[in-house]
Amino acid sequence: MLKKSSLLLLALFLVASVFVPATLAEEPVRISVLNYFDLTSPGAERELNEVWYEFSIRNPHIIVEREDLFLEPFHQKTEAYAAADRLPDVIYMWPGGRSTSLHTLGLVKDLRPLLGDDAQYYQEAVLAPQAGGYLAELPQTMTSSHALYVNLPLLESLGLSMPKTYEELVEMVPVLQANGLDTILMGAQDDWVIQSCLFSMIVGRLVGDDKLNEILAGEAKFTDPEFVSALEFYAQMYEDGVLHRKIMQTSYAEVNGLFATGRAPFMIDGDWKVSNFLTDQTTGEALIPVGRQHEFMMTIFPAIPGEINTASSSGVVGVGFGMNSKIEAGSAKEAAAWELIKWLQGPEVQKMRLETAGTIPSRVDVTSDQLEPLVVERIRYYEDILVTTEVIDNIFEGEVYTPINIGLQEIGLGFATPMEVAQRTQEAFDDWFARQ
Amino acid sequence: MKRVAHWWTEERRAYLLLVLPAVAVYWAVMAFPTVFSFILSLTSYNGGPIFNNPNIQLVGFTHYIRMFKDQYFWISLKNNGLIMAVSVFGQIPLGFLFAYVIHRKLVRFGDFFQTIIYLPCVISTIIVGRLWQSFFSPYGPFTEFMQKLQPGWENELFFDPNLAILPVLFVILWMYTGTYMIIFLANLQKIDPALIEAARIDGATEWQVLIRIMLPALSGVIVTACILAISGSLKSFDLLYAMTGGNPARRTSVLALYMYDNAFRHSPKYPLANAISVFMVLLSFALILMVRFTEAKFGGRE
Repeated sequence: MLKKSSLLLLALFLVASVFVPATLAEEPVRISVLNYFDLTSPGAERELNEVWYEFSIRNPHIIVEREDLFLEPFHQKTEAYAAADRLPDVIYMWPGGRSTSLHTLGLVKDLRPLLGDDAQYYQEAVLAPQAGGYLAELPQTMTSSHALYVNLPLLESLGLSMPKTYEELVEMVPVLQANGLDTILMGAQDDWVIQSCLFSMIVGRLVGDDKLNEILAGEAKFTDPEFVSALEFYAQMYEDGVLHRKIMQTSYAEVNGLFATGRAPFMIDGDWKVSNFLTDQTTGEALIPVGRQHEFMMTIFPAIPGEINTASSSGVVGVGFGMNSKIEAGSAKEAAAWELIKWLQGPEVQKMRLETAGTIPSRVDVTSDQLEPLVVERIRYYEDILVTTEVIDNIFEGEVYTPINIGLQEIGLGFATPMEVAQRTQEAFDDWFARQ
Repeated sequence: MKRVAHWWTEERRAYLLLVLPAVAVYWAVMAFPTVFSFILSLTSYNGGPIFNNPNIQLVGFTHYIRMFKDQYFWISLKNNGLIMAVSVFGQIPLGFLFAYVIHRKLVRFGDFFQTIIYLPCVISTIIVGRLWQSFFSPYGPFTEFMQKLQPGWENELFFDPNLAILPVLFVILWMYTGTYMIIFLANLQKIDPALIEAARIDGATEWQVLIRIMLPALSGVIVTACILAISGSLKSFDLLYAMTGGNPARRTSVLALYMYDNAFRHSPKYPLANAISVFMVLLSFALILMVRFTEAKFGGRE
């Protein structure tokens, strides 16, 4: 009898142990995430472990279904999801640019009400309204789309020093050519690179944001002398030998190795490029080893003749994650998605990004004592910038900046003149403006 | 009632039972998307829900006119033409030549050559594209090799709008010739060896065997290969996407890439992208009909 009752008790205990915790635990919530992620970057493993795996450990009731994509495939998938009206619950976004339609069509929520008192932990500038006039994504950083990377020992070995003006840069070209070196490297096979990393800076220097905003309002034109002069200066860079047409045959990834191995003393790219040179934690290897990183400098392009903004660079509030506007307010799904977004911009994750990619934190409470020299250099580089101007693809719609992107390559190849590109861009703008 | 019963025979029921699933699948995955794509190309649809969307209007052939006015459409079409020419007049003759040489045992180690010629087909197209992109890079092995031969040589292959597509054409030839070789090899093995032996006994030369026996016997296969080459050329996308992305300045773009750019790159222009896809379908039909006509007029009998 005793044996039977013991068995019954044991069975009851087993059944209870299976069902009771499940009923007491929170109901699992599934959220889909479209993430922008370079799996080949040196910090990839830390990101997987310290960001995504750690979140699932801390929040067992939230099941994250993540899709990782990088560069063009990411943007194309985003457009496809938006067109099909099937945007994921949480999505990696830009404050404008390629994500403009997500903002302007209201496909993502205003995060400011959800942020509440936590706003105190963020720099005021990063919480400014974005392309749709509201806080559509919680930025992780400020980003400069233009940086001039310099190989200092290479310059010194040729008896050259950092140019302060464009004319000084031009004077270096014959010396570099005589030594079989290029002047400036760019991985500009993809057409966005020149516009984003170089031409936006030139426009900032020679045209200025006020004029760009006038163009955007339809009160000025791309064919006005200021904008055409920016295109002409860019064309002049090829004639002066500062840029070579080879940049358009160099892929975005290939340029990293070329710069690290000293094929030219300068490289132009966004400040995010730093992450490609840092130590890969899984292998302990780096394109530029820690011991050599102090030999490289980040700064801005030298003074351009006729510039109205001195020491300026183009930049935007950084990327971050937004939330699908279709998620019901006050629902468990909204709470779960917000939990993830908060975590992704939380102090632990921003510290990890600072250490692995040199990403300048958008929070005021993040710092680290484990920074590689190039990350420290990236932070210092911001001291060189006196004025931050707009990035063209951040303020104009795709159909307006696409003729600029292609046109910049055509100018470099000699297929189009600056005025022809300006006219084509104006025509595209007029078409777009007429529909607004 | 009697007529219905007469029509509804067991034979017809069996016929419908066998055919309907295939027709339904074909309609769902081929015919319906094509017709739907044509309808979308006549509208102003630009994202969001398709049904009950008040912003969608019929705009006629506006997008087709826009497509024909766009210089990048003509650049892409020209590149598709070049790829097609390389496929039909490069891959097929070369594939046949390799197959013939191996089948007739005109070289030793036939199996070895068969393997190495076919090998590129089993490598992922994206990897092939990346590899050749590195090879033809201004800092890559091709440039270094040329500079050894001619010091100071600058790799400007991609800068001349007429030459930019050349490296891509070379890779296409290298990559897909093996497929046609295998097709021809398989069909050559079906030709009765006694026929060739008899011709040789009658004093036919190798050339006469090729022209009078092999080629007529394979005319149907050649037509099939041409159709495969034409359709393959029109849908060229992955290799170009990986190798050049259609750049510099869209000079290596093709229709599929041009369509993709308009649909997914930068701002979406779905009706224009649909117009391009409809044009591609019509072009495929026209070219395949042309091949059929040529075969009917000049082809031999198997």
